[in-house]
Amino acid sequence: MRLPARPGERLDRSREVAFSFYGKPVKAFEGDTFGSALYASGQRIFSRSFKYHRPRGLLCCSGSCANCMMTVDGVPNVRVCAEPVREGAIVRPQNVLGSLEHDALVATDKLGGPFTPVGFYYRTMIRPRWAWPLYEKFLRNVAGLGKLDKHAGRANRYDVEHRRAEVLVVGGGRAGRKAARKHAAAGRQVVLVDEGFVDPLEGVDVISPGRALGIWEGGLVPIDAGHVLYRFRAEKIVVATGTIEQPLVFPGNDLVGVMLPDGVRRLIEDWGIKPAEQAVVVTVDEAGREAAAALEEAGVRINGVYDLRRERVREIVARGRGGVLRSVEIDGRKLSCDLLVMSGGRQPAYSLLAQVGARVEYDPERGVFIPTDIPDGIEAVGSVAGEGLDGAVPAASYNGASGKGKCFVCVCEDVTDKDLKRAIGEGFDSIELAKRYTTVTMGPCQGRLCHVPSIRLYARENEKDEATIGTTTARPPWAPVTLGLLAGRPHEPAQRTSIHHRHKELGAKMMWTGTWRRPHSYGEPEGEAKSVHDSVGVIDVSTLGKMIVRGPDAAEFLERLYPNRFGDMKPMRIRYGVLNSDAGRIMDDGTIARLDDETFYVTTTSTGAGAVLEWFEWWNAVWGKDVEIVNVTGALAAVNVAGPRARAVMRSLTGIDLSNEGLSYLDARDAQVAGVPSLILRIGFVGELGYELHFPSPYGEHVWNAILQAGEDFGIRPFGLEPQRILRLEKMHILIGQDTDSESNVLEANMPWIAKLDKDDFVGKWSLEHVQERGLQDLLVGFEMEDGTVPLEGAQVVLEGTRPIGRITSSRWSPELRKAIGMAWVPAEIAEEGKSFLVTVDGGFERATVRLRPFFDPDGERLRS
Amino acid sequence: MSDLAFLSPGRASTEAMWRSPLERALQGAPPEISDLSLTGKVEVRGKLPKSVKGGDLVRITPNRGLVLCDFTKTVALLEKLSEDLFAIDVSASLAGLSVRGEAVMRRITDLDLDALPAAGAVSHVQAIVTRDGDSFALWFAQEYSDYLAEVVIDAHEGLRR
Amino acid sequence: MSFLLDCPNCGPRDVNEFSCAGEVTVRPKESPTLRELTGYIYFRRNVAGVQREWWYHRQGCEIWFQAERDTRTNEVLRTEIFDPAEQEARTK
Repeated sequence: MRLPARPGERLDRSREVAFSFYGKPVKAFEGDTFGSALYASGQRIFSRSFKYHRPRGLLCCSGSCANCMMTVDGVPNVRVCAEPVREGAIVRPQNVLGSLEHDALVATDKLGGPFTPVGFYYRTMIRPRWAWPLYEKFLRNVAGLGKLDKHAGRANRYDVEHRRAEVLVVGGGRAGRKAARKHAAAGRQVVLVDEGFVDPLEGVDVISPGRALGIWEGGLVPIDAGHVLYRFRAEKIVVATGTIEQPLVFPGNDLVGVMLPDGVRRLIEDWGIKPAEQAVVVTVDEAGREAAAALEEAGVRINGVYDLRRERVREIVARGRGGVLRSVEIDGRKLSCDLLVMSGGRQPAYSLLAQVGARVEYDPERGVFIPTDIPDGIEAVGSVAGEGLDGAVPAASYNGASGKGKCFVCVCEDVTDKDLKRAIGEGFDSIELAKRYTTVTMGPCQGRLCHVPSIRLYARENEKDEATIGTTTARPPWAPVTLGLLAGRPHEPAQRTSIHHRHKELGAKMMWTGTWRRPHSYGEPEGEAKSVHDSVGVIDVSTLGKMIVRGPDAAEFLERLYPNRFGDMKPMRIRYGVLNSDAGRIMDDGTIARLDDETFYVTTTSTGAGAVLEWFEWWNAVWGKDVEIVNVTGALAAVNVAGPRARAVMRSLTGIDLSNEGLSYLDARDAQVAGVPSLILRIGFVGELGYELHFPSPYGEHVWNAILQAGEDFGIRPFGLEPQRILRLEKMHILIGQDTDSESNVLEANMPWIAKLDKDDFVGKWSLEHVQERGLQDLLVGFEMEDGTVPLEGAQVVLEGTRPIGRITSSRWSPELRKAIGMAWVPAEIAEEGKSFLVTVDGGFERATVRLRPFFDPDGERLRS
Repeated sequence: MSDLAFLSPGRASTEAMWRSPLERALQGAPPEISDLSLTGKVEVRGKLPKSVKGGDLVRITPNRGLVLCDFTKTVALLEKLSEDLFAIDVSASLAGLSVRGEAVMRRITDLDLDALPAAGAVSHVQAIVTRDGDSFALWFAQEYSDYLAEVVIDAHEGLRR
Repeated sequence: MSFLLDCPNCGPRDVNEFSCAGEVTVRPKESPTLRELTGYIYFRRNVAGVQREWWYHRQGCEIWFQAERDTRTNEVLRTEIFDPAEQEARTK
């Protein structure tokens, strides 16, 4: 029933809003919440509880408990007591079978009790194991917090915004506003946030509603403002989060009509609603008395006020019908009422302070926990710091009335005093253990209304004091937050070469290599590989890491960093280098081209570029040599033209001497290719005559198109990563990370010639010396399958039918050689040409023969042609 | 000393077609977001001068900077700078994106927008950010062009709603 | 992990802009015994307290520097550019 308009109310009675509930229209005013409007229209049952499906009604009216959770416009678990009304919204109850008034699942309350004590799920529904899917389906349907509408979820957009504040005030009540004004007056940049709606404040940036989810390192305070997450970095944080009214524990304390003082006050003062006809108040502090006064003024008949600071009450029993309050018995005296106001004191909302390192101390005078030892940069003001609290410690009213009905300690999770006592009886005698066993404080209210009552109960049952029991760890988020808000916008950092769009136009199947997008193939990997052998192919290798290493100490720097020798390289020559860690393990590989006395051009693997640059820069910082390292990975596109007709294709693209003498294997040349300044590297990862062109990336498409055109007469085909893998495997060229792992070294990985152990010192030298001394144990070898089955990569190498002794790292069918080939790690004793081993294939074994020389063109004649 | 000609897009013949890494991604983008990629960029190291004639010097560290200049004048400027400093043509390395409005910037980076120019993360990608009034320029590795353009256009869209 | 790290060049930034290379160690001067080598490669002091460690401003100015960070609280006490002579003096 609505009261006449009053000053200070949140309603704008000139603006009507209508929404639907159970398919029927509900009238509201602007300024109402869905909950207040429903209450004003006569709705009393707002939800059914989690486990017992007991009727629940408004309790706190401040978004703390779970009693009013409903589904609004497809979004579940909305606390309608705090959610502002919206025109046309569709509001539905959740977790009921039938209706709020008649929920068939209430059977669990009437019958399930003996079968569903605390922790029952640890002991039941385990056997028979095959029935578990059925148990799960059943449980999910009878206990839950609303259903997700997949489509409603996707329709929401969430953004993240980065903000800074000199002073961030959390809490827009009296103390928070006072602190904000003070700091603004001192000329600071102040931001104030409040979970609810607060009035603007001059000189202060107010975000309301805006909920602080927690305080993280570096003054990071994310603010949930519905569809925007404000990621604040604050120099100073003022916590003015106030207190949370606590319930009392007694039989029937969860009946519809039992409310906290603040809930009553809001109904009357914010939304102009007369909450009931007759009320009884039981309180340990002034808040209850203030609620009684407000009720009286609103025309509610007060049938009794019990102030536990002045009188002792042994037994409180609330009684109702159909889950709705009808009367309360105080020490045996029965009082009619449809509203029972209970106040168990006000507990400072210290969670943010505890997260940031403050301690929490129990105050025996006031029966609540107060934060202390606030760290630097954080300030606690107002009632959260304990100011103005005047409550008494409530007596254990449930003890006087046990057996007269369920006393709820945690209404969210339906945990009763009996459950907690049973948990203690079973040995869970610390509050942290009890919490995890009973799930008290683990529901939507996250302890706001049940943490202190549970500690009080524990103290009494264990005959310890609350200070000894202590509190459980406060963790973020302060309130449930949608995952969508934390996720923000769905962008995935991806690197693409400047030729990317041409690959897509040519029908390439794209894949991820680290964070690069690359063509797996253009539809026919084996055909693409074969055409490189038969004629000519072209592949985009722009993803390679590339660095210019230049300076008077460049050669010395590379000599100390790599196991290879570089000091004696002639200009415009190329070497293959393998980068080692100081533990002698293989980190990365690539080509090193010497451009002049002081300049080297170094390439790395596509996914290793970042790590190698860091590595180079670190050693340079440590050694302090006169050398500069410049990352030019994106500056250059790179394209490899390979095959017996590659020279012919290149002839129409560039004017330099391409004869085998003019540009030999492992030579580098500067040239204009298709009118673009390029560096040509004659190298051969894929084992055929090949030219790798490095040129400025904005000309990627231009050069690619020119190559395809020049090669048209030769049947040039673009080829992707998959055919490249087949080709390199035919040459037994290793792939770092595929054929090697974090333990592999060059001596055992079939490349002993890389390590020049006669050099003075290089990164990894000592470790390699020790490996040599110890003797090589497992070696990387090539193999071919006797019968042509291709084993899976990762398949085991097995001694005659017994234990695994090695593994397959790479395997493919070679269309050129018409056999199944691969590489594997095997013990040194087997690592000899012609020896055989077994490989696990499809639950059985197949035989393989060790090969130590490349399968295709072992002498490299094609490469050097 | 090798002149590293293969790094300079400015050395290409006029028939060669230069394409911006942002060309496709910015098709249909609002006017507040535009392409700056066709700019000369020279990375310089050593004792940085106070200013550079014919270019804008952005200091990254006391010994490392980025000089932005007219694309057609890059090679000449590179040669001039090489007289006193270590200089490399990185014109092709970086894409350039112009974004108007602090609000959009706050959606994509937590850099202090009053402490620019700076090198830092923009939506998980390394970038050099400069400011001219309400206009911001992002210089970042060109291979992230499609990704970063998508991020910026989407952030802009999010503010419109 | 969200603490701010004060890059000696750029100022305070979100820690995720950086790469961490762990505790500062001392590389053996000449050919170490197997025991010394294993110690250098695998063993770290791993203190619960202030640790001197390497950081790289990966998404910013790309300088390597050292920081003193309390591993219990993530409080960073100082950051400074690496000076080989100073490290030499400190480790003597």
